[in-house]
Amino acid sequence: MMEALGYFFMSWLDVKMVLLTAVGTFAGIYIGAIPGLSVTMAVSILISFTFRWDINEALALISGIYLGGVYGGSRSAILLNIPGAPAAIATGLDGYPLAKLGEAGQAIGLTTVVSVYGGFIGILALAIAAPAVADLALMFGPREYLLLAFWGILLVGSLSGQSLSKGIFAGALGALIACVGLDPMTGENRLTFGSLQMSAGISYVAAMIGFFGVAEVIAQIHQLDLKPVKQNVSKIIPSWGLLKKYLPLATRTSGIGVVVGALPGAGGDIAALMAYDHAKRTVKNPSRPFGEGAYEGLVAPESANNAAVGGAYIPMMTLGIPGDAVTAVIIGALYIHGLKPGPMLMIETPHLFWFVVGSLTLANIFLLIFGLTGIKIFAKIVETPKPVLLPLILVLSAVGAYAINNNPVDVYWMLGFGVLGYFLKMYGFQVGPVVLGMILGPMMDRSYRQAMMATNNDGWLFVTEFFTTPLSAIILAAVVFTLVSQTQWWKRLRGLN
Amino acid sequence: MSTNPPRLPGELSFMALVVVFSAFMLWTSFRISKFDSISSPGVFPMFCAGLMLVTGLMSLRQAWKASPSADTHQTVFQQFVIQLAPLKLILFVALIVGYMLALEVTGFLFSSYAFLLMSMQVLGSKKIVVNLWVSALVLFCIFIVFRTAFSVVLPAGSLLGPYTPEFLK
Repeated sequence: MMEALGYFFMSWLDVKMVLLTAVGTFAGIYIGAIPGLSVTMAVSILISFTFRWDINEALALISGIYLGGVYGGSRSAILLNIPGAPAAIATGLDGYPLAKLGEAGQAIGLTTVVSVYGGFIGILALAIAAPAVADLALMFGPREYLLLAFWGILLVGSLSGQSLSKGIFAGALGALIACVGLDPMTGENRLTFGSLQMSAGISYVAAMIGFFGVAEVIAQIHQLDLKPVKQNVSKIIPSWGLLKKYLPLATRTSGIGVVVGALPGAGGDIAALMAYDHAKRTVKNPSRPFGEGAYEGLVAPESANNAAVGGAYIPMMTLGIPGDAVTAVIIGALYIHGLKPGPMLMIETPHLFWFVVGSLTLANIFLLIFGLTGIKIFAKIVETPKPVLLPLILVLSAVGAYAINNNPVDVYWMLGFGVLGYFLKMYGFQVGPVVLGMILGPMMDRSYRQAMMATNNDGWLFVTEFFTTPLSAIILAAVVFTLVSQTQWWKRLRGLN
Repeated sequence: MSTNPPRLPGELSFMALVVVFSAFMLWTSFRISKFDSISSPGVFPMFCAGLMLVTGLMSLRQAWKASPSADTHQTVFQQFVIQLAPLKLILFVALIVGYMLALEVTGFLFSSYAFLLMSMQVLGSKKIVVNLWVSALVLFCIFIVFRTAFSVVLPAGSLLGPYTPEFLK
């Protein structure tokens, strides 16, 4: 226990770590707030720069950016009616009407406090649940990992887009991209088309920057003329009475955030929408009707999306399966630093786990400080014109892709994936599952072959063991349920269509 | 009543390309180790490509069934250009391609500065003096931060590299 506390406070007692966490949180708020910049994009670019750093330093910075970024999206949603991040879409529904009523300051203050509150609940859940999940995960074999990875791709594919088939396609595409190069088990060339360059595989950092950075930059060109609506901001710190009134709702929706965040593949945006829906269904007498400036419509999504951060770390740290797109990128960062997320990471390097919990807690405190200050500078920065901003992001992306191997080929891959990502997005495919597929693909490939070899290549035995092993059967049931819940039959049954 | 969103211009062609690409990848994956063994290196790529083919076909079917965009005054190509590939976007992507190619030849600083100026102009930032200063300032910051804090070695360029002072490499 004392040892864990020591690791927990490691980032608090080192000035450099404190500074990195503060800088990360501050930068995250602005990155999250500027429409067109996303946390995933920022973390993708960042890992290519920080891979030479000590892992703790990189994680401190990333923790700050992640927490700050999830919160930052709410500010532009409230002030400019443009959600800075997908997780803030629900926030804008009531946040902007509140700003129009002259209550922008109050809305920002309340949002900040409930975000921090949600963040703490998420971190608490991470600290309590992760060691238990890791113990459970020690019982997992290749078959369970195969199913979990498949479930993760399926979930992110089905929850993040309108079409399940497009979601599965995107996940499979990512897994296929991950197969390019030498087979890790036999050393055989796969999908390299005789190219020596491709034998080394495709850098997933370049692919991530392409899908999340370049594709987004290109897509933003359609919104160059979108003019933000400025608001006056006054009186930010919310009254105790207001906080007390909304604390029970924030507690409930933080719980939703933790659970949704912990589902492999689901993230803060889905958590926020579900929490908003929960508030709409359960709050009998909102301060104003929902959609017209109800404070409940701010409290629910904002506490949930920040709670989802802690939740998303649970499957990442314990199973090596990302809770959302950002944690998918963080897994990439851990791999680059020679670490393998999963139950053994918790056992072999417990200091890393408690360090992450400590950094997140510290970042959450900084979130409260930065969230309640600097609104005037903030308004200026988020109004940076896109014709200036987009080329700058592109240059940063190019430097990021180049820096990882000092190889210009990675820059070309980044551009190729960026253009592909743009068209995929335009035609209704999500790029999140592609990146998730790239991260989980090698695990699925390895797990499948290990499980198959364990049955002496007996296909029938391989299939039946999914049903006869309790753990496999439970996860398989979840996979089947996810698939069935997306069918027209199920939607008709539930009266959704 | 159908609740499907209308078909975007070029969507059908894109889905057809997706199917053809998936089929090609399935064939390529099959050629890795054919059906040597059920746990051979080619099985997982085959599974992925097979899944892509099936879901690609489903997406093609969805696109086929969706009604095209209501505006019938323009051809599909015109609609595609307006909705998905406007001139600004094509020019910007062309500038990115040029920038990527120029990185190795003229080096990071020169190519980035030229790219920033030209793309700001193309995207509609008409204040040339502001563009000149913002580009220079941002590039300076990127260079200092990434060369010092992140120790990133930026390309010096085969053409301009030999003439570039050491501290700018």
